[in-house]
Amino acid sequence: MDERTMRIRRQSFLNRVLNPRYIMVYATIGVFLLIYLFGALMYGDIGFTTIRTFLNMFIDNAYFGISAVGMTMVLITGGIDLSVAAIAALTGMFIAYGNTILGIDPFLCIAFAMVIGIGMGALMGAMIHYLNVPPFITTLTGMFLARGVCSMISSESVAINNDAFNALAGWKVNVMKLVDGVWVKVKPIAFINLNVLLFLFVMLLGAYLLKSTKFGRNVYAVGGNEQSAKLMGLPVARTKILVYAFNGLCSVLMGVSYALYVKSGWALALMGGELDVITMAVIGGTLLTGGVGYMLGTFFGVMLKSIIPALITFNGNLLSWWGKIATGALLLLFIGIQRIVVTYSAKRKGKAADCVSKKT
Amino acid sequence: MKWKFDSQHILKSKITWAVVAELLILLVCLIIRPEFFEISYQESTGMLYGSIIDILNRSSEITIIALGMTLVIALAGTDLSVGAVVALSGAIGLKLMRWDMSEYPTAGNYSVTPLIWVFLVALGICFLFGCFNGLMVSRFGLQPIIATLVLMVAGRGVAQIITNGRQMTTNFAPFKFISQGSVLFLPMPIIITAVIFILMVLLTRKTSFGMFVEAVGINPRASRVSGLRSSLIIFSAYAITGLLAGISGLIYASRIGQNDSNNAGINYEMDAILAVVIGGTSMSGGKFSLAGTVMGSIIIRTIITFVYYFGVAAEAIMAFKALIVLVVIVLQAEPVREFISKRRKARKTAIRGELHG
Repeated sequence: MDERTMRIRRQSFLNRVLNPRYIMVYATIGVFLLIYLFGALMYGDIGFTTIRTFLNMFIDNAYFGISAVGMTMVLITGGIDLSVAAIAALTGMFIAYGNTILGIDPFLCIAFAMVIGIGMGALMGAMIHYLNVPPFITTLTGMFLARGVCSMISSESVAINNDAFNALAGWKVNVMKLVDGVWVKVKPIAFINLNVLLFLFVMLLGAYLLKSTKFGRNVYAVGGNEQSAKLMGLPVARTKILVYAFNGLCSVLMGVSYALYVKSGWALALMGGELDVITMAVIGGTLLTGGVGYMLGTFFGVMLKSIIPALITFNGNLLSWWGKIATGALLLLFIGIQRIVVTYSAKRKGKAADCVSKKT
Repeated sequence: MKWKFDSQHILKSKITWAVVAELLILLVCLIIRPEFFEISYQESTGMLYGSIIDILNRSSEITIIALGMTLVIALAGTDLSVGAVVALSGAIGLKLMRWDMSEYPTAGNYSVTPLIWVFLVALGICFLFGCFNGLMVSRFGLQPIIATLVLMVAGRGVAQIITNGRQMTTNFAPFKFISQGSVLFLPMPIIITAVIFILMVLLTRKTSFGMFVEAVGINPRASRVSGLRSSLIIFSAYAITGLLAGISGLIYASRIGQNDSNNAGINYEMDAILAVVIGGTSMSGGKFSLAGTVMGSIIIRTIITFVYYFGVAAEAIMAFKALIVLVVIVLQAEPVREFISKRRKARKTAIRGELHG
């Protein structure tokens, strides 16, 4: 390979990496690293930098992360889904009530919940597309419906006592290290559980779907400009319905993951969780106007959202409510950056006016 | 305004469906238990009692917020922060009244700060929160959902920090009067709601503000080009909503006699948005109907009262709400309405064809 080809290759790689579309993702990663560095400097001596602390952030937020994958896709199409936490609570209730009270196999319950979740998602997608009802209202109704059914099944918390299910919940892989040729557990003991694996799997699946499939391209096209997508002959209806159905599946998986985490089902579980999930996606650089968003950003959005409670725990003196305020401040910071990026790139395209008035 | 009783006009009007839905629910009540409509007068409190009064009374918190939300939604926005502002308003109010909480933990019939200052400060801060939302949306052009999500997340945290995470109780009679007192035989919240409703109607129908809101909601660019200061109009809609959420929060705090930063105003934003949408104002902005919003809020409360009154499991409220909303939004959906009116037209032309042919 000669010098010139190398240079061109290097340049195109640089161009791709420095593409302004990725600025939001870099910002998220950068802020996460800064906050992590801050934590390491302040609380490094009491164990902030251990593998355990790092993995615990995954373990405690894996269920939110699973849902954030589906939510990112929905947001990219320009929609929104408020029903995720309610469907997750419904899933948990199905498992708990089905197994503990009715004695059904928990995995059958999960399968049933999947059918319901995907069905509800597809139905909401169809309503949004064919009846032209705003996604906000449609999914709000879905949320009320799922919560309502959930509390009609049982208004109290139901524990899950299934051996197979509890075995899954307790399954974990310890982090080992090699000391003098022998594998020993690191101290303090760090591990990952099924939830983390599920989260990573769904995240990779989502990234693959978005990046490398026809479906993913359609998602971006529909979010970028639905009218153009339709004129190009893309299957707009199918894409939208599939996206909401996929999000329904993610919600069910969030419910399963949360049930594994708390080993019970409760009608009020994950109350308000849908906004946490949306916050994660937005911090990760997904635009609510649609057309922009990456799984890598969402991944770091999840990490950022989970590092704040960790920091507050390590501080020990701060009231946990500062976490809410810090999350609000983070959100503000990121929508500020988004705004600047959007205005900048719109100016570059010379149609700033169009963009400003597009959806305000 | 002239009233025309034209069947086409009534069928096309979106508020019709809200009224029909409400009447249907009430009809069911009438069939199952006629005493649902009984209203009694109690000498000792000088107030009317009954389920209908109760519906109006209890719906007032949502109605007040929803009136502001109507303007915001007519401008194609949403305000998710109102629930947090409700909690914040109660927290500030109680903090000011019970500044001496640590010394005198039991609630008494007194207030440390004069009540007028309690109201001014609490409502002032809520107004500022509304202004912040307005600034973010109008000046910086942020997506309303995200812009107001910031305060929705942070607002409750602020409320907790103001009160140090504690619940403070008060028995201060003038403060309790806001929710338990009565004027003209009616509970105070109904009076407050009615006054706010009238003020809002005057503001939107007797000044050009309402028309400006609709113009900006229908086409922000066109209205800016034609010389409207759209950003000022958007800003004021959010500011008004913040103020109204503050009023609602004080009523709620007075009702329960304490602040409750965790649970006060939970899901109020959703209920208020539902009330507006049931009332026939489209989420995509444009024409709005304040009367429709009041109707929507009353429908939501009627469902809840209905469920409680007839001993249906209280847990079913959410599902009931969802079903009613589902029916209303499907009937209001553009394609469905088009379909209905097309069929009516087709029938008419068919009849005409028979007559002439």
